[in-house]
Amino acid sequence: MTVFEVVRDSLLEVVPEVDPDAVTPGRTLADLGCTSIDRAEIVTLSMERLGVVVPITEFRDVNDLDTIVELLGRHV
Amino acid sequence: MNRVAVTGTGIVSAIGADVAAFTAALRAGRTGIVATPDGLGAPVTDWSFPEAVAGASTPLRRRALRSAGRSPRPVRVAVAAAVQAWTAARLTDFPIPGDRVGVVVAGHNLTARYVHDLRPGWEENPAYLPARFALHALDTDHVGTLSEVFDATGEGCTVGGASASGNVGVVHATRLVASGTVDCCLLVGALCELTPLHRRAFAVLGALAEPTSDPGRACRPFDRDRSGFVPGEAAAALVLESTASATRRGVPPRAVVAGHALALDGDRSAAPNLDGEIRVIRAALAAAGLAPTDVDYVNAHATASRRGDEVEAAALVAALGPGVDRAFVNSTKALTGHCLGAAGVVEAVATVAQLGGGFVHPTPNLDDPVEPRLRFVGPVARPADLRYALSNGFGFGGINSAVVLARTPDEG
Repeated sequence: MTVFEVVRDSLLEVVPEVDPDAVTPGRTLADLGCTSIDRAEIVTLSMERLGVVVPITEFRDVNDLDTIVELLGRHV
Repeated sequence: MNRVAVTGTGIVSAIGADVAAFTAALRAGRTGIVATPDGLGAPVTDWSFPEAVAGASTPLRRRALRSAGRSPRPVRVAVAAAVQAWTAARLTDFPIPGDRVGVVVAGHNLTARYVHDLRPGWEENPAYLPARFALHALDTDHVGTLSEVFDATGEGCTVGGASASGNVGVVHATRLVASGTVDCCLLVGALCELTPLHRRAFAVLGALAEPTSDPGRACRPFDRDRSGFVPGEAAAALVLESTASATRRGVPPRAVVAGHALALDGDRSAAPNLDGEIRVIRAALAAAGLAPTDVDYVNAHATASRRGDEVEAAALVAALGPGVDRAFVNSTKALTGHCLGAAGVVEAVATVAQLGGGFVHPTPNLDDPVEPRLRFVGPVARPADLRYALSNGFGFGGINSAVVLARTPDEG
């Protein structure tokens, strides 16, 4: 599973009402109806599934899928 | 002061995951007590939140799933019970403005098991602590979630009184409606999941029923051979509403809260207090304008505790006086287990079911009553034309409560 797929699956678990086809590179979490707490939950779930630990401060102000995937990818 | 009616009830319990199933189990005297890996208990099993809310109106179901789909189990169960009560009160069809609807959640330390179960993961890697922990670890997550699901934006909070919490909730919610602070209050008695630590602590006090090879015989309220309580899981919900609001909406009351009383013993221990119990029973009857001989039915606190049942039996003999041989007495905890903070609301749902259904449910295992003067319901249900019911709740720390429910507004 790619990092993007892990993040997408985590997002769909946290906000199940989102259309899976709408979760594509380039989207922001706000576009998809996620709150900042949803974002924190998506990031934590993704970290756990990838077995990585990224300091939570690195995600501050990050709201787009590409940057989240990139930050997580650096630690995989 | 507004008169306060019950216009909807809901429950998820070990003996039924909706009011119809729960009422059928009451009639049959079916106990939910089984052996569990943690010890004797009456757990909610084979239960799914999406299935539980599948029958709700589409917007309500969507909000429930979005708000509580990932919530800790007690919150999901609370929302499901509340959806039942809300639907039964026809609040989706005939709504009340959100700012006139309050939310009261009865119970405390509701997240102990959630926190306990996260501990091993935390020891392994703290970075994976669920991001919603700060919210989910609060008892008031129940309040916020219920408020969001039902768009209830009037007054709201949790209330606590140990094992009297449920009745404290009935009293608080009734006051909110009676005072006109809100027109309607959603009350939920929240499910209490014990941790092994809490279980052990109750056992150390001698409060828990002794293990036995026949779990169905372990919980014996008011029997001379009782050995303690069996923990039960349930969330129960009431919609409490002013009779004026119910009339405006064309929704018939299922019962009326006719009177209530709370009083403390000045004693932080676990010991029951005869005078304190007599005091609240008399005060609740007085508030309802009833004589002791008017009481048709008592839903006793009766956990099957050795000392507690004996004191409650004596309190009932004293407070009912000449009415002692006419009021039926039973213990719902013999069937549901002791639902702790939710118990008073569980038993209010049971009482409303019996008032409306014209029966009193059995008290299994009551073979040798501790007090022969009381009119206990024996091993089978009995038909009964009930007008006024008393429901007791007594908590550790000397917290006493009694609530009087009447069948119809004209009889309260």
